[in-house]
Amino acid sequence: MRKGLRALLGASVLAMGLAGCSDSEPAVSEDKSGDGTDTIELAEFPDRPYWGDTHLHTDNSVDAFGFGTRLGPEAALRFARGEEVTATTGAKTQLSRPLDFLVIADHSDALGATRRLFDAPRWYVDWVMGDETVLRWYDMMHESPEQSTRAIAELISAAAEDRVPEAMAADPEGAAEATKDIWNTQLSTLDRYNEPGVFSAIAGYEWTAMPNGNNLHRVVMFRDGSDKTRQTYPFPGLNTTAPALWEYMKAYEEETGGRVLAIPHNSNLSNGLMFQMTMEDGSPMTPEYAALRAWAEPVIEATQIKGDSETHPYLSPNDEMAGFGVQGWDFGNLSLSEKTEPSMYAGSYARSGLLRGLTLEQQLGVNPYAFGMIGSTDSHTSLATGDEDNFWGKHTGNEQSYTDRSMKAQNLGTREGRFGWHYLAGGYAAAWARGNTRAEIFDAFARREVYATTGPRMSVRVFGGFGFTADDWEGDWVRKGYTEGVPMGGELEDNGAAPSFLISAMKDPDGANLDRVQVIKGWLDASGEMQEQVYDVVWSDAGSRRKTGGKLAPVGDTVNREDATYTNTIGAAELRTTWTDPDYREGQRAFYYVRVLEIPTPRWTLYDAVRFGVTLSDDAMADAVAQERAYTSPIWLKPKP
Amino acid sequence: MNLPGWTREPLVHFVALGALLYVALTWGGSPPDPSSRLINVDASEKEKIAESWTLTMGRSPTDAELDQAVDAFVREEVLYREALRLGLDEEDAIVRRRLVSKMDLSASLAAETAEPSDAILRAYLEENAERYAEEAAANALLTFDQAYFTSEARARAALGSGAVTPDPTSLPAKVEGKPSREVESRFGQQFAEGLSTLEPGDAWQGPIASGIGWHLVRLTQRDVQPPEFEALRTALANDWRSDEIEARKKRAFEVLSSAYRIDISE
Repeated sequence: MRKGLRALLGASVLAMGLAGCSDSEPAVSEDKSGDGTDTIELAEFPDRPYWGDTHLHTDNSVDAFGFGTRLGPEAALRFARGEEVTATTGAKTQLSRPLDFLVIADHSDALGATRRLFDAPRWYVDWVMGDETVLRWYDMMHESPEQSTRAIAELISAAAEDRVPEAMAADPEGAAEATKDIWNTQLSTLDRYNEPGVFSAIAGYEWTAMPNGNNLHRVVMFRDGSDKTRQTYPFPGLNTTAPALWEYMKAYEEETGGRVLAIPHNSNLSNGLMFQMTMEDGSPMTPEYAALRAWAEPVIEATQIKGDSETHPYLSPNDEMAGFGVQGWDFGNLSLSEKTEPSMYAGSYARSGLLRGLTLEQQLGVNPYAFGMIGSTDSHTSLATGDEDNFWGKHTGNEQSYTDRSMKAQNLGTREGRFGWHYLAGGYAAAWARGNTRAEIFDAFARREVYATTGPRMSVRVFGGFGFTADDWEGDWVRKGYTEGVPMGGELEDNGAAPSFLISAMKDPDGANLDRVQVIKGWLDASGEMQEQVYDVVWSDAGSRRKTGGKLAPVGDTVNREDATYTNTIGAAELRTTWTDPDYREGQRAFYYVRVLEIPTPRWTLYDAVRFGVTLSDDAMADAVAQERAYTSPIWLKPKP
Repeated sequence: MNLPGWTREPLVHFVALGALLYVALTWGGSPPDPSSRLINVDASEKEKIAESWTLTMGRSPTDAELDQAVDAFVREEVLYREALRLGLDEEDAIVRRRLVSKMDLSASLAAETAEPSDAILRAYLEENAERYAEEAAANALLTFDQAYFTSEARARAALGSGAVTPDPTSLPAKVEGKPSREVESRFGQQFAEGLSTLEPGDAWQGPIASGIGWHLVRLTQRDVQPPEFEALRTALANDWRSDEIEARKKRAFEVLSSAYRIDISE
């Protein structure tokens, strides 16, 4: 009887909620709920980079909720579109520059599980009661934000080490049951905020596999409107493998006629497993496997809050700009259950992954690692902030109200030496598209015409071809680039001449000047060995900065450590050049990508130190100024078949 | 007709409406009674379990997989009922807080998926007319030519001489009918602010500064689209909804708490 009363009361409150409005099926126009095809006028060629975050967690993520986030997808979308929202810890916040697209990528495992305690007591009472460890975690979660953070850190470690209590382990039926409502509600919310020409709200989730704590996570991103995405559900990550995910993706496409791709991230925490020379089980890679991977994963996330994965100084000893965002992340895997040996690095970083791709392509005829690059946040606060001066923290347990967060222990491996200041402020993804719709943004990803930045919105454009000259800048070089060459992400077939590149980089109009533009070339030499070379191709203050011994003089440093300011008195607003590979050899298998460096600017840690009067340790202070950067997707040079 | 006084009590309305809804919601299949010792996984229940499985995996479960799924379902059901029987939900701080939150959520849940009527939204637009007018002004459609110079002096010289030959840049020389937010995204905030101070005309104006350099601008059109209901409909619904969620939580609490006498001793 008491149960009946309780249900009656619940229904009464529900009734009260309904009172005062006519309730019907939420209806948005087909323009908004579809993939955006034929909704807006498209440019002839991609005419600007669209800015977005493909990796944002909300309170539907089991860990984000546990860390304290109470903002959901609706708040996340409003914030990304430039509306003011109130952060979980109370401050009002707004992006001074809205984003153009957003993928909410909540963990598919136990999607909304912690939040669903509100929605489904049956599930939760069962869950809580099923296991003592779970019960303890839940007690901690309710005791205080600090305890909650600790509980979720334990949960992540447990997941990483495959010892999640059985009561919580992802079983397909349970996951589907728990996920269904949230997924469908989310798709409706996305449709409501999706506005062709203004903002693309793109469906996706995170597939969170981490055998033994080695990070193999992928963000899964859909091209389609809710008519198709409603026909699938997020695929569980725990205890599944990447080939199973790809099988799921193939099935989705076959059943719905839609399109989907997966974006690996934090290869830097995979202990060499992200870009292996073999398949998962250690057996030699087959051409079928390589082709499936290349199809499913055209782009990786090369930079985000949990460090940068471009390359490691150990792998690129002659690259003095290597090592951004490496410190703190290169001595162990995600949960720090396993140390990282230098021999593992080659499988963990993008540049070496691209090189391995060339080798595998030579052996198999297919390149499994022909990926483009983007940045994103991986923020767990529902707030897609990527800039140094507005860092809202990895999660709610280190939002700005925790003023000493830079020197504080964090959830993953502080005992081993990973601290707040090791975290980056996060990156953004730039997509060269003909307009802002779900389909156009997705297609830019699929053809790899995308690039990564560590936060600043610099415009970087690259065309590769044969016979581009300095004179091309006088005319309509964009048209020429598209009609006579290929943009970033494209492939060139060797025709016996050295490839040339039109490269243009413009600073973030509201940010710091540019130091230099570099081309990074990777290739297989005559004996099949993997080689890499960094070329400085155009730089600021060229009159006074010369190369000595092949190295360019540093741009200088205007950062005032006392008040966290810098000036644009050094560097350039825009850099462009036509570059021809001076070391081209016929028949060489190679890739070329562009790296753009800003002048030194304060990191979030320095802003925090000044704003909150926090004293940074010596090593944190030494890392409090950095050169932010962009990485483009490569252009590949392939031998004639 | 004279109704007794209690029929005019809001609380009575509220309970009555709830009772109706409860009946409606549980019609044709009430949740299992926890005091029952029978767990009946019948064909339709099995079908549901299989369907769940299929939706995730993109194929039907094998017999073995279905058996496993049914076992998991039974396990959950047994432990859930036993938990209730043992009274684990009573006097439990976690359950207490969950229930409080659940009440909050159920008050706002309807708003999260509600589709407000046109009348509600029109009223909302009227109430917030100023805010939408500001937004419209900020999203005026702009048409202009822009000539870029690396220094202020060069820009001024060009303006003075009348021969506007700009320095090279990747920024477009011509922008046609683009909303201000788009212009700001490409040219930066400083430029957008500078541009907002100019009046449309046929002459070159400026120079205005941006993060890139200096610009002469020939602003030929600034077209402010007045807030129009149909175009704004989804935005209005989104804004209304996020206001409404807060308002409903507050209202629900006020109604419920009004039935209590609350004594707080000094």
